[in-house]
Amino acid sequence: MVQKVLVFEPNKCIGCRLCEQWCSFSHFEVTNPSKSCIHITRNHEVQLDLATYCHQCTKAPCILSCKFDALSRDEKTGAIIVDNEKCVGCRACIQDCPFAAPVMHPEERIVLICDLCGGNPQCVSHCPEFAIQYLEVGKADRIYRSIYLEKMTNLMKKLRGGNYND
Amino acid sequence: MTKIYGSHGKILRVNLSLGKIDSEAIPISILESYIGGRGLGAYYLAKEVQPNANAFSRENKLIFMNGPLSGTLIPGNNKICVTFKSPLTNSYSYSLCGGHIGPELKFAGYDGLIIDGKSEIPVYLWIDDKSIELRDAQEIWGSFIPETEALVRNDLSGDQSIQMAVIGPSGENLNKYACITSSLFREFGRGGAGAVMGSKNLKAIAIRGSKDVIVANPKKVKELSELLSENIRNSNGGRIRRQYGTAELVEKINSRGFFVTRNFTSGYFKEGEKLEGPKMRESLVFGDSSCFMCPIACGKRTALTLPGGEELIMEGPEFETIGSLGSNCGISDWPTLLKATSICDKYGMDTMNAGFCVSLAMECFEKNLIGLEETNGIELNFGNGKALVDILELIGKREGIGDVLAEGTKNAAEKFNAPELAMESKGQSLAVYDPRGAKAMALSYATSPKGAHHMVATTFGAEIGMGNRFKLENKAMLQRNHQFSMCIVDSIGICSTMRAGIPLIQQVEAYSAVTGFEADVSVMNLIAERIINLERLYNVKNGFSRKDDTLPKRFMDEEIPEGESKGEKVNLEFLLDEFYKVMGWDDNGIPSESKIDELALTDFL
Repeated sequence: MVQKVLVFEPNKCIGCRLCEQWCSFSHFEVTNPSKSCIHITRNHEVQLDLATYCHQCTKAPCILSCKFDALSRDEKTGAIIVDNEKCVGCRACIQDCPFAAPVMHPEERIVLICDLCGGNPQCVSHCPEFAIQYLEVGKADRIYRSIYLEKMTNLMKKLRGGNYND
Repeated sequence: MTKIYGSHGKILRVNLSLGKIDSEAIPISILESYIGGRGLGAYYLAKEVQPNANAFSRENKLIFMNGPLSGTLIPGNNKICVTFKSPLTNSYSYSLCGGHIGPELKFAGYDGLIIDGKSEIPVYLWIDDKSIELRDAQEIWGSFIPETEALVRNDLSGDQSIQMAVIGPSGENLNKYACITSSLFREFGRGGAGAVMGSKNLKAIAIRGSKDVIVANPKKVKELSELLSENIRNSNGGRIRRQYGTAELVEKINSRGFFVTRNFTSGYFKEGEKLEGPKMRESLVFGDSSCFMCPIACGKRTALTLPGGEELIMEGPEFETIGSLGSNCGISDWPTLLKATSICDKYGMDTMNAGFCVSLAMECFEKNLIGLEETNGIELNFGNGKALVDILELIGKREGIGDVLAEGTKNAAEKFNAPELAMESKGQSLAVYDPRGAKAMALSYATSPKGAHHMVATTFGAEIGMGNRFKLENKAMLQRNHQFSMCIVDSIGICSTMRAGIPLIQQVEAYSAVTGFEADVSVMNLIAERIINLERLYNVKNGFSRKDDTLPKRFMDEEIPEGESKGEKVNLEFLLDEFYKVMGWDDNGIPSESKIDELALTDFL
């Protein structure tokens, strides 16, 4: 099975944080952003909402960083699975994650990492803007590619002063 | 003890004089009788602050209250209400703010926060779940709104997830309509809550929470969340708001000739087309912005480079701002309007009261009631954009004429010897709907406990829909019903825009699923009536009565001169007679004893 991953597009996000609350609710039956594995943070000055979330890295730095053998990969989805018995809450995985995705459980000393809801991520199914998608890894990169291309287009537009006849 | 759901049943109390911080339970019976938000605010203010208290005294309190739905999965649950004695109206007042601050307080484990007393030195309040402290804010005092947020955040290790409510220089210099601002662009806007906060030497409130919000019936809440999110997003109102934000109303109101124009000398603004929603979308908007748990995103992210090169990035302006600072001052160009809005935003003052103070001065200037000597040499004609911008800066700094205008329309008009030109009721400026063109709005303005306010009952939509907006008959009952429905959303803690796709019956369903309280529409209406009467009683005890349920004379005496509402005036006395009757109040606007008894409010007499 081709692995699927989460992809977030900043330009689509409206900052409603439905994803956060659905994440915590579907795992704990409560709403609590601190128990969510996805976080939306707004920068007001530039009016931008950005998500921090698990990218399901292939050679996952979180797994490599864990000295207690608490992290493994789900065979079906490829998601990172935390063994709560083994996790000591040392936060090494949090420090090593390039995307600042893992979070500490606010009451217990264990780490929370996205489990992709067993293959049906609730953040994705409840995002009203399709700002977060669940795609095959080989297609996810196309989203990044188009984000990059848009950036370049805007840059070129600026450089050319909007005049394409030059 | 019975388990409480939705709410925590807990409030935080901060006494700034003593530096004392406590938490306290809310009795379950009070939660059941007053719901939350605006309702709990009414209960605590009536119980704890004397109606004749000076708004700037230590006794006055800022009572922040969430609703039970706040922080749950129910869409639009982001409104937190602050209740206080207003320095602008000297009356009961409350103001609601969206964004993310209310739910964050909920996640910190508190339904509400009650602040009283006065700190010796400027401080800010840091609520980090259970760990709460007052921190020195002397270095931050004097800062504009964006700098204040940045400095406080910096002091708290830069955590961008912290939510804040802060005041700017206008709150500090006791501008009577200073607001409390959250996330730069969301405000507890009306009535001067910011000035009360300033009078207490409290510069900011910063909140970070990590507690659970637990609901009574998770399965039902989940189902309702999905259904109601879909409904509100696909509703006609929701779709339009998404597209154009509240600015969609410019066309709707102006084309019908009841859009504030030059201090209500007209109801039709000829250049209004330039300010319509689609024009705004096309020329300014680069994105949409949501408050917590709202699938609509009516907030519009706007950017503009001013002729001088200054770059403005903001959320808005909203419809009320477009009217108050725009058509009301004869302004129809976006650069001026955005600049004017940004000045109000940075000083932290209500754009509506500010706009009506400027329009008052403009009318006085054009009628030669004040001259260049009084205006600091500024040619204050309607339509003079530079004058608008300059005057707003003076108001922010409280310099010259700005010092007079920072006292509100009513006080300023008295100073100018032109009390009839102040577009206010109980000292609060009107909103942008001309009541001559939608008669029930006259009752919203005149009978609101906090002075002229459109959000106590937004009847104009229904009046347009029914095609009877010029009629006086049956408007009292319409007004009453709208006041009730607004009171319910304000108390359960959802945004009033949700009403576009979530009817009362579903709001009640959500309320029951979240709290576990059995409720139906009639129970909720009874509670709304209780809250509204308690607010009324508070003012009555401070000497308010029919004589204070006023409108500017203009609406009774002068016809709208042009547009689709041409020739219209208001007969306020007729409307008040009818309204008092349907409310069970006497001819003088005082709730009758039997009404008070029926609503279980005798304790408050």
